[in-house]
Amino acid sequence: MHKIRRSAIYLIIGGLLLWLSGVVDELRVFQGANASVYVIAIASIILLTGYSGQLSLGHGALMAVGAYAAVLTQKHWHFSLTLTFISAVLVAAAVGAILGVAAARLKGPYLAGTTLAFAVGLPTLANQFSIFGGEQGLNYEVSNPPKSLGNNFTQYRWYFWITALAALIIMWLMHNLLTSRYGRQWRAVKSSPVSAALSGIYNEKIKILAFTISSGLAGLSGALLALTLNLVTPSAFPLSLSFAIVTGAVLAGLTTLTSSIVGALVLVAIPDVADFLTEKLGGAERVSANLPGLITSVLLIVTILSGPLGSKIHLRKRK
Amino acid sequence: MNMRRGYKRLLVASVAASALVASALPANAETGISATEIKLGITLPMTGAAAPGYNKLPGAMQAYFDYVNSNGGVNGRKIKLVVKDDGYLPTLAVAKTNELILKDKVFAVVGALGTANNKAVARSVDLGRRGVPSLFINTGYSGFADGKKYPTTYPLFPSYIMEAKIMGQYIKDNFAGKKLGLIYQDDDFGSDAQAGFAAAGVKFDVSVPYASGSQSATTAAAWIGKLKAAGVEVAIIFGVTSATGAALATSAALAYKPQWILGSVGGDATTLKALGVPAAILAGAQGASFLPSPGDATDEYVKQFTDIYTKAVPGSSFDNNVLVGMNTAMLTVQALRAAGKNPTRASLMSGIESQGSKWASASFSPISYSASSHVGYSGYWFGTYNLSGVMLPTGGKYSIYTTDSGSGAVSKSTYMRPAMPAKGLPNN
Repeated sequence: MHKIRRSAIYLIIGGLLLWLSGVVDELRVFQGANASVYVIAIASIILLTGYSGQLSLGHGALMAVGAYAAVLTQKHWHFSLTLTFISAVLVAAAVGAILGVAAARLKGPYLAGTTLAFAVGLPTLANQFSIFGGEQGLNYEVSNPPKSLGNNFTQYRWYFWITALAALIIMWLMHNLLTSRYGRQWRAVKSSPVSAALSGIYNEKIKILAFTISSGLAGLSGALLALTLNLVTPSAFPLSLSFAIVTGAVLAGLTTLTSSIVGALVLVAIPDVADFLTEKLGGAERVSANLPGLITSVLLIVTILSGPLGSKIHLRKRK
Repeated sequence: MNMRRGYKRLLVASVAASALVASALPANAETGISATEIKLGITLPMTGAAAPGYNKLPGAMQAYFDYVNSNGGVNGRKIKLVVKDDGYLPTLAVAKTNELILKDKVFAVVGALGTANNKAVARSVDLGRRGVPSLFINTGYSGFADGKKYPTTYPLFPSYIMEAKIMGQYIKDNFAGKKLGLIYQDDDFGSDAQAGFAAAGVKFDVSVPYASGSQSATTAAAWIGKLKAAGVEVAIIFGVTSATGAALATSAALAYKPQWILGSVGGDATTLKALGVPAAILAGAQGASFLPSPGDATDEYVKQFTDIYTKAVPGSSFDNNVLVGMNTAMLTVQALRAAGKNPTRASLMSGIESQGSKWASASFSPISYSASSHVGYSGYWFGTYNLSGVMLPTGGKYSIYTTDSGSGAVSKSTYMRPAMPAKGLPNN
């Protein structure tokens, strides 16, 4: 009964989103697609940090791995769109598994440093090998919306349908995963590695598993990001993307999956807020170009200072 | 228990999201056109590595639009230009163009800069399917003239293939038998250049590619090292201004003095000097251009534009970027006039196709817009920079050579550009 109701609720939300995409402004639909991409990316951080207790500042690079895997398998092997998503998940998960082996032996700042180096270094590889198409990147061929949906069905609504559907499926799977044996094991390892080991949990293995799944999710969100751009390029995966999704996860409260939606909406809203502020302040282009980064950083710092476990947890404790 | 709360939160979050995104959708005659205003937009690098020089374009366009606005506007409507910084990144260009079209609701995009950026925007934003015109884009990638692939895009500059073909012919005529070296950007910009030089039958002894965005004093030292090691006597740089500046400054620092030939994209003397290129190395370098030299005070277009610009933006020097910006703005005004009293996006584009080839413009090159062609300019002249950075035409007068992006020959043009309209105000 429990599972059936859970699925029913997801179906209702899915239906609501599909209906909504037809009635709102197109810019909002595009932002909705971006938010869906972030939801998956933030969910991957929540799984990794909130549950298994590992930190990654390199998930932007894993998103790039997924995006390039999707585009390259489409370009060279003519995979269908769905298959390219699957290849994005698998390739990013494989890379994540290797990284996870190293990660499981590192702690705190060392782990942060390693993953950070990964985020700095990886995207520039694209400029070294011509197969990756250099700075201008490679095209991601996304079909037009099916004719049966009508002529007024815009491209962005189509992106939104694909990304929102993916986000819902991932959330549903994650809900099930995190309430399963594995979810409990991750939490045990996070809160006390020693007692977890004593109760028979193989810490290293379960941590690597978390890193692998988390990387696969990041890969999928990277492929979806490339989809909204019709393009994969190193500049789509800057260091600031890695920071942004960690910020989104922290804002969301690291341990609650559903609030990744809140984190995603905040991330999508930041550029709009920055634009609004620049307009109010009569600022120059120079200001509006840097303001989003500033807002993200300030939000992160304020959240950490005021509620080390994320804003939501903190608020709930106050109640 | 915990999970039930989870669902509640999920539902609340979704409803909150719905409320956040729901907003009214106003309907009107034509997007970006009101009784008193025409709204246009541009995306280009205003900050970052590629910004120097190009960030003067919107100011120059705005200066000319303001001048037209203060003289009655276009059929009583004032032109407003919304500027968005894309940092020369394709992802940002897509996001910013989305804002221009969906949030600012501009009538058309004018002068968007960059090959990769314009490609990404045309595909992802899907300008063609939306019917949003993208006029006089600041790139010479030959592919944009393909009206089937880019139905609403109107390139203005001669393509890089044309430039390289004409430059190739110039090199064969003037530097036969010399050791040749080429520095080019490793993307469509550079591959167009290579195709053009190949079509002209020019073979380089050394070719040095650089990745867009990688240009710096350090990387330039490696480029120059390769040219120097191969004993290159005539060095061609086909890159953006920041790359050209880095190459010339490094060349001066290493006391390496080949005959430099600069592509038009990176050939603006004012910006090069601002980037630290010594006047001594620029003097004697040769270059190609389709516009008159911005330092040529005897040219009626340069004179009129300089007059308007120095009044609008006192203290800013009139350079090639300003000339490009103002020339683009003047063509835009003519296009808006041709679109009629109640302009639509469709009438704007059909106006360009039916009348564009006759419009007043500063270039010595003919304009080839027609119902079947999106090609703008097609010609170049060559000149040598003097000590004050002014490029003077080889042989004392502007000789224009034109060609196409295919296998057509390079030939001398007999085109006479229309006179500058009275007071610099179009009367088409």
